[in-house]
Amino acid sequence: MPITYYKLPNGLRVILSPDSTAPTVVTAVYYRIGFRVEPRDRTGFAHLFEHMMFQGSRNLGKMEFIRLVQQNGGVLNGSTRFDFTNYFELLPSNKLETALWAEADRMKGLAITDENLKNQQGVVTNEVKGSVLNQPYGGFPWLWMPQYANTNWYNSHNFYGELKDIEAATLSDVQAFFDTYYAPNNAALAIVGDFEPEHAVRMIEKYFAEIAPATLPAPPDLAEPRQEQEKIATREDPLANRPALAFSYHMPPRNSPEYFAMGLLDQLLVQGDDSLLYQELVKKHGFTGDVSGAINELGNMFNYDGPMLWTASLFHDDTVAPEQILSAVDAVVEGLQSKPVEQSLVDRSITKMRSSLYDTLTQFGGFGRADLMASFALFDDDPGKIDSLEAEFRKVTPQLVAHTAREYLRKTNRTVLLIEPGAADAAGGGDE
Amino acid sequence: MSFSATKEMPPQGPPPKPFHLAATTDFSLPNGLRVTLAPYGIVPKVAVRAFVSAGGVHEPAGQVWLSKLNAELMKEGTTTRAAEQVAREAAEMGGQLEASAGADFTSVGGVVLSDCGPQFVALLADVLAAPALPASELPRLKADLVRDLAIDRSEPGTLASERFLKTLFPDHPYGRPFPTESELQGLTIDNVQAFYRGNFAAARTHLYIAGKLEGDLRRAIEDAFGGWLRGSLAPESPAHPVTTRSLQVIDRPGATQSNLLLGLPVADPSSPDYIKLDVMDSLLGGSFASRITSNIREQKGYTYSPFSHIATRRHLAYWVESADVTTAVTGPSLDEIFYEIDRLHQEPPSPEELRGIQNYLAGIFVLRNTISPDAIIGQLHFVDSQGLDRSYLSTYVQKVMEVQPADVQQAAKTYIVPSRMTIVAVGDKGEIADQLKPYAQ
Repeated sequence: MPITYYKLPNGLRVILSPDSTAPTVVTAVYYRIGFRVEPRDRTGFAHLFEHMMFQGSRNLGKMEFIRLVQQNGGVLNGSTRFDFTNYFELLPSNKLETALWAEADRMKGLAITDENLKNQQGVVTNEVKGSVLNQPYGGFPWLWMPQYANTNWYNSHNFYGELKDIEAATLSDVQAFFDTYYAPNNAALAIVGDFEPEHAVRMIEKYFAEIAPATLPAPPDLAEPRQEQEKIATREDPLANRPALAFSYHMPPRNSPEYFAMGLLDQLLVQGDDSLLYQELVKKHGFTGDVSGAINELGNMFNYDGPMLWTASLFHDDTVAPEQILSAVDAVVEGLQSKPVEQSLVDRSITKMRSSLYDTLTQFGGFGRADLMASFALFDDDPGKIDSLEAEFRKVTPQLVAHTAREYLRKTNRTVLLIEPGAADAAGGGDE
Repeated sequence: MSFSATKEMPPQGPPPKPFHLAATTDFSLPNGLRVTLAPYGIVPKVAVRAFVSAGGVHEPAGQVWLSKLNAELMKEGTTTRAAEQVAREAAEMGGQLEASAGADFTSVGGVVLSDCGPQFVALLADVLAAPALPASELPRLKADLVRDLAIDRSEPGTLASERFLKTLFPDHPYGRPFPTESELQGLTIDNVQAFYRGNFAAARTHLYIAGKLEGDLRRAIEDAFGGWLRGSLAPESPAHPVTTRSLQVIDRPGATQSNLLLGLPVADPSSPDYIKLDVMDSLLGGSFASRITSNIREQKGYTYSPFSHIATRRHLAYWVESADVTTAVTGPSLDEIFYEIDRLHQEPPSPEELRGIQNYLAGIFVLRNTISPDAIIGQLHFVDSQGLDRSYLSTYVQKVMEVQPADVQQAAKTYIVPSRMTIVAVGDKGEIADQLKPYAQ
């Protein structure tokens, strides 16, 4: 599929990728500010701020953005991730101009009140309660693991936010964050779907060209030191009634040969019921019913730009000790480190990767494609990279897989998180 | 941050482009297997799923989750393929063999690279017609289900929905979503094999294939499924959900939120009122800009993701609103939900508000029928399993657009009746008992 990429004089990165399969269009604006970089006394602020972007701008009052999209037959959302915050609409294709006008309106400035902020502080604290505080295994492992595995505050703080920090935020915090990060030269606009590129270029010029760029702060140092010793953390979960176990390894740097090899190792080790850890831990030992795993549990291996973990996790019974599970994991990993795997196993991983790339790109009506293009525009200045991914994976050899396993699946590069259940068994009981 | 200038109006854009549903090819094999092919899109993936009338509703009394255990065992190989071989072959096609059991159906299938479609059809047929169902794997799979059961029942939302269903369907399998642990432990390989033999056959199965279709799929289906035994049609087991008002409270000491569920049976999809109900639901609680969500989320900040929807079983539907609310505002949240229901009883929505909801449903309809091969299968399976004509889909948008403000009000008055509702609250009883008192009757 064709890709057009250019920048407006104010620095806004624009990526257009037409596809007329369905009469729909995705409009996605990505700001290069994620939860890693938020004020130190305001954990969870990047996410709270995301909510404020729906609370009102110059021409759209409270609820009007949401109603505008809905009444035009579309859906919308926003999300806060490690290295970006995104806002997107999926609409009938004739409503592209409406979406561009609305996104430009909130890029120009917010118009919100103390009451709006207080309301969203209530909504966000309920979000945190519902997903984490009132939920067994609520932060397992996606929210908790980075806090144990990382050492640099940017990577290791509670990015959903301590409730007291969420409640302490003020309107001037909101304004300062907007002024610092929500500028066209810190953003990418991706459009995917059924549209005419020439028409889109004119509309983008009309609505976005006048927005002034900002002076961006120097990016902070996100680097993690090389881990030299295995870490084992235990956390009691008062709502959980079965133990759970997760382990993470720090990823190789993005775009290195080892990074692509880790993509295939993820397929080989945990993706699908043919994978080595599924076969070992589920089928052979019966330790668990499933093994989940991912590079970047809040996205995929492409949409981040900084230190990252490859994480696997499972639930088990208290009749099985974590040591038994870990030694079975070690045996599988040592097999990969000691000699190169068969080429057929690499080939199968590439097939699985290719198949999953198609799913990623088509996810949610083309949003997945917009997500990768915007990420690659912001992080690599090269959204066309999506077309070279498959070739990068095909370069991975069995020798490189073994080398990568030796360096990155080192036990001393690993953090283990054990969940100790604090609640009574609920399998047998009634529901009182 | 205030702006005093006159507000701009949003640009409207040109008129919409026409949307056409994927044209399907439908046929049956001599053994009664129904087949639907729905070519769609250019991405080289294809979804292949068989829906077999073999769900929780078909389990014998005292054998809850037998259908789930059977689904797990179906992934454990066939009479000619070891489990590991099934997994590897599917992976080499870019997919995975999935099997899961719901209330009315077991679904078996997967999504693979398009050029592997015919090959995956053959693998699927082998799994459906000749599963090994090995006794050797039973203890492990039962232990996994016992663990799943324990974890499921530690989740407050799951407890709320279990109690809700139990109250709504006291004498029907729909009201027993979970077994007891001892019931689960008691299941034997003979139970599984009997369930398989009694429920899995061509006449009880509809095979759907959607996405970019490659190769001679029809031939592959005839070759792979032609020899499967016919079997008999699924027995009907009509449910008669409860329509009396009750308040159920499950104590969860120290809970920071209360998980609320409230609802009741409504007209099923075959009723002429169903689409009016659908519109009414989207306006009342079933969309982001709906009245209940605007009220308790965007005005009051009591909750994060309140939502209503119409859930369906075979020839049956119920409306339900769910909201996880801060403990201290459990009563006020219910007050507001019932206020919004009452407001819709008292007066019809404005034509503008209704038009917004109609446009939303028309847009969502396009998304539901384009967003992925599995979404397309979901739409077709919904229509077929409810016994509706496929014209339900082709006339849906037109019927949505014909709904009048008075129809919405009437649908709310007829069906969303507080005096017939089941209300469930899972939360800290000591904190919420007084707040809930007004709702006890």
